[in-house]
Amino acid sequence: MDIIIYGVINSATLALMALGFTLVYGVSRLPNFAHGALYVLTGYIAWLLKNRLGLSYPLAMLLSLVATGLIGAAMYQFVLVRVRGMPISEIIASYAIGLAILEGLRWGGLKGATFTLPPFVEGGTELFGVSVDFQRLVVVGIGVLLVAALWLFVNSTRLGLALKGMAQDERAAMTLGIDSDRMAVVAMVLGSVLAGIAALVLLPLGNIVVEAGYYVLIMAVAVCIVGGLGSWTGAILAAFLIGFAQILTVVYLGTHFQVVVALAAIIVTLILRPSGIFGRQKELEERV
Amino acid sequence: MNRRLKTLQAVVFAAAILAVSFCPALAVEPITIGAPLSTAFLYGWDAERAIKLAADEINAEGGVKVGDVKRPFKVEVIDTRDLEPGVPVSEALLAVEKLILEKKTDFIIGGPVRSEAALAAMPLLSKNKKVSILSTGALTPKYHAMVAENPDKFKYCFRISGEAKWMVTGEVVPCLEEIGKKFNLDRLFIMVQDVAHARAGGELLAKIMDGKGWKVLGAPVVYPTGATDFSMGLLDAKKQNAQVIIIWMDMPETAILLKQWHDMKVPALPFGTIIAAAEQPGFWKATEGKGEYCLANVVNAGNAPCNATPWTMKFVNAYEKKYGIEPEGYGTSSSYMAVYVLKDAIERAGSTDPDKVVEALKKTDLMGVYGRIRFDPKTNQVIASQDPAEGAVGTIFQWQAGKRVVVFPPKIATGEIKLPPWMEKK
Repeated sequence: MDIIIYGVINSATLALMALGFTLVYGVSRLPNFAHGALYVLTGYIAWLLKNRLGLSYPLAMLLSLVATGLIGAAMYQFVLVRVRGMPISEIIASYAIGLAILEGLRWGGLKGATFTLPPFVEGGTELFGVSVDFQRLVVVGIGVLLVAALWLFVNSTRLGLALKGMAQDERAAMTLGIDSDRMAVVAMVLGSVLAGIAALVLLPLGNIVVEAGYYVLIMAVAVCIVGGLGSWTGAILAAFLIGFAQILTVVYLGTHFQVVVALAAIIVTLILRPSGIFGRQKELEERV
Repeated sequence: MNRRLKTLQAVVFAAAILAVSFCPALAVEPITIGAPLSTAFLYGWDAERAIKLAADEINAEGGVKVGDVKRPFKVEVIDTRDLEPGVPVSEALLAVEKLILEKKTDFIIGGPVRSEAALAAMPLLSKNKKVSILSTGALTPKYHAMVAENPDKFKYCFRISGEAKWMVTGEVVPCLEEIGKKFNLDRLFIMVQDVAHARAGGELLAKIMDGKGWKVLGAPVVYPTGATDFSMGLLDAKKQNAQVIIIWMDMPETAILLKQWHDMKVPALPFGTIIAAAEQPGFWKATEGKGEYCLANVVNAGNAPCNATPWTMKFVNAYEKKYGIEPEGYGTSSSYMAVYVLKDAIERAGSTDPDKVVEALKKTDLMGVYGRIRFDPKTNQVIASQDPAEGAVGTIFQWQAGKRVVVFPPKIATGEIKLPPWMEKK
């Protein structure tokens, strides 16, 4: 039972880490390699607002999400728009921004174990005889809520439908009057906010450390490659595949192999099915 | 008027030149200490601060007496990055090489911090005849074993901080036995980091405790450096009814482990033989008090407040005055003492010649921050003891109500070990 419960928790964790990255790539074909940095930055801003300015925790969280969204928009408007359509330059530019944010935070004093965010709910409970703390249940709950909210947003709002149109066929969407750059900014803001939400939900389980930025990026990339770049359904399925594989590895092989699982999943996917589980568009391109 | 002013300027200039030429304090060449440290991590920055504190104190007293001249210490710190995940040992070696060849340092104090890097640096130190006093991080017994195996080659390598074998047999095992007797506990679960000293230490501890009649619950669970989720290991410990969890990890993420332990209410006493995060005064705040009852070994006395020797609190207070925080990690008091021991050796040798300083270091015998400091003549390892009057004494403390209370060894203890309430109910 512990494998099932912690498998679900781990999968929800990975899905939360990857949702923002998938959204941005799905809509604008922009691989945002600053995703992990935005994750850490949100946590740090929330920490600063709460501990240095003495704001209430909910307000600090809200403001940190607003700040991250604005930073995401600025990243696109001032840097990424100039290299749009050049995949290698997009990767280099976004990774450079991420690196500057993370190492800037380290240089500014974000090191050690003293930067933490409080959990939403203290304490824990037993589920089918397995100990689980409430914050992990919050992770699963918010993961499910976010996926549902995103589905509703994409399928039943004008903005969401425009984003969906862009993801399906950018040129066709443009002929219908959808502004490609505007949608890319919207996707970038949403992606950054999703990275921020993941941070606010997941960081109370640990500490705000620079290394988390690199870890989250690796996990997000692994989930997206396995699921198929740009596919939300694929990302969620891949999160469950990798999440359960990690837990099974921990139980049957050893904890130190846990990180290897995600990297092995990338390699296996690239060898057997380079387009990922749900990467239909790329699959078609590969066939042609 | 203008001519007078020019004359005055010339006189002042000449006086300044004369002052610089004849004032020995200004003219003498400093003795440079190279400190290769992983400065972004606890065992790096604590050592850096301690080395600088000692050097400042010594310089304020006039410096080191070399023959008839008093020379100040100058500290050159370089970041070895060897505690960072994924950074190869070669990075640390390059840093040490840079200190020796480029910075022309006279002595090495501090690291490299990671055991693997410290071992790899030994031939480099010997090749360049650089006297090194290892004072933080590296705990591997192989370090002094290598000195014993090749005394001529590695005679320049000393270690003034504790090492894993003594830590286990002389401190952790006796402390565990005391806990076992006091609370009737005998089921041990071991969690270690995937690094040489932790793996070796965990296995050694398992073997010893098994021999002492404790039930060791499986092989040590190994976590990669930088791991942030310990829930499955803790769940396993809970399922197996562990009563004490040994944690041997030098990464800051151990604060997360303790938070998870508290949230899951695992009925087992966490005992950090090495537990980087819990050593720090900021740990209480970092875990919002969830790290209470965690035991932590800080290798040598003086890294948490106690009265091991008259110098202990003097050092703790001086450190707190300078840096606004109590000594944090296990490399603090030893790095501080390394500078004083080097000063003592240079003064007795009357020279900075490496061979003469080595001979003087071997004859070191002074009462320091953590007891009597002497080096084993065969291994150049500081002689350890549970009694500060006899040797370098260790420290195990427990977090109690926001304070680091020293609980072992009995000669320096300031309080008693307590169990978390959810263990007492059981």
